[in-house]
Amino acid sequence: MSKAKNPSGGKDNFTRNLVIAVVVGVALIMLVPTLLSKQTDTSAAIPASVSAEDGYGIVFNKELTDAPFIEIYEDFQCPACARFESIAGEYIEELITTKKAKVAFHTLSFLGGESQIAANAAACSADEGKFLQLHKTLMANQPSENSGAWTSSYFSTLGLGLGISSPEYDKCVGDNKYMGWVKNVAEEGAKRNINSTPTVLINGKEIDRSRAYASLGDFMLAVEKA
Amino acid sequence: MKNKHLALQPWLGLIARLILGGVLFAAGYLKIDKPDISQMAVRSYEMLPISIANFLGLVLPPLEIALGALLILGALTRVAATLGGFTMFIFIIAIAQAWARGLNIDCGCFGGGGAVAAEDTRYLQEILRDLGLVFLAAYLVRYPVTKFSIDKKPRKMNEISEINGDME
Repeated sequence: MSKAKNPSGGKDNFTRNLVIAVVVGVALIMLVPTLLSKQTDTSAAIPASVSAEDGYGIVFNKELTDAPFIEIYEDFQCPACARFESIAGEYIEELITTKKAKVAFHTLSFLGGESQIAANAAACSADEGKFLQLHKTLMANQPSENSGAWTSSYFSTLGLGLGISSPEYDKCVGDNKYMGWVKNVAEEGAKRNINSTPTVLINGKEIDRSRAYASLGDFMLAVEKA
Repeated sequence: MKNKHLALQPWLGLIARLILGGVLFAAGYLKIDKPDISQMAVRSYEMLPISIANFLGLVLPPLEIALGALLILGALTRVAATLGGFTMFIFIIAIAQAWARGLNIDCGCFGGGGAVAAEDTRYLQEILRDLGLVFLAAYLVRYPVTKFSIDKKPRKMNEISEINGDME
């Protein structure tokens, strides 16, 4: 209309509106699937040792009711988690084997890609009764973040090294069988306001952030007192 | 002085658009593939109920990308600048309250976020940066006609003045 009268006058609204529509459309395409995937998927496959009511954690000594309940929120790729494992891991393992505590491991995946692959593999190993061994091995040999080291074939080989020989484990690792569960764990952690890894709770209360993560003595004391 | 600004204004507007838009776009882009961290960053401000904080953590990155892209392209400049400036204003409030309450967190502006050691907090720098961005946004709201934008340009000089509110 007036554009015809004034050919030098500006760009037409069509281009502009198209650009706006594309930008808004792309933003929605990025947003909507994320929003949907952040719903807890109650139909996702979960390992036998996982308890949905304990925030989808992998639980040891679930039957103990009057023992301290230790909840560990961690990411297999987080260096501070590896540090905590090297300090307190053996003691926690002992608490589990001597049935002195109920322990739940929440394998979060803040760091993305390979954290999810590792968490899935950890769940697969839990079905073979090798979670603690795999957990220890991964933390002790933590590669740098998302460096491409942790693939499903890496975890197949690692399984052999830990004495897992079942074809189900390989299939579980290869098919990312528990990826839905991995997302549920992350979602539960978000709902429970877990804002850093590692986060360790004893009977629902976080241990002293300034001391108990860095010293085995302080951590043991916190468990004894519970 | 006034005339000088009139001549420079579309160029200043372009710079403002590119800086504000670039920062918004980068901030969103660096967070978009790490939704768990983005949610955590919002939660650690301890301002909102957890469920709303988690929702906001998912919405912010694509929103920042969209506003950034609109500003960089110069589409819907005034609206995008208003929203972008408003977002920065909210960030300033959020950071200031975290500072005042003695929380030790990273702002999570460009990914990351959550608890950090007390000596690693950067509240003042973060607030000053966001203040600068609010100022750029305000400038664009006041003078939305800029160089190289795909917003429809007014056809005559006096229309520019009209939109830019320079009528004497």
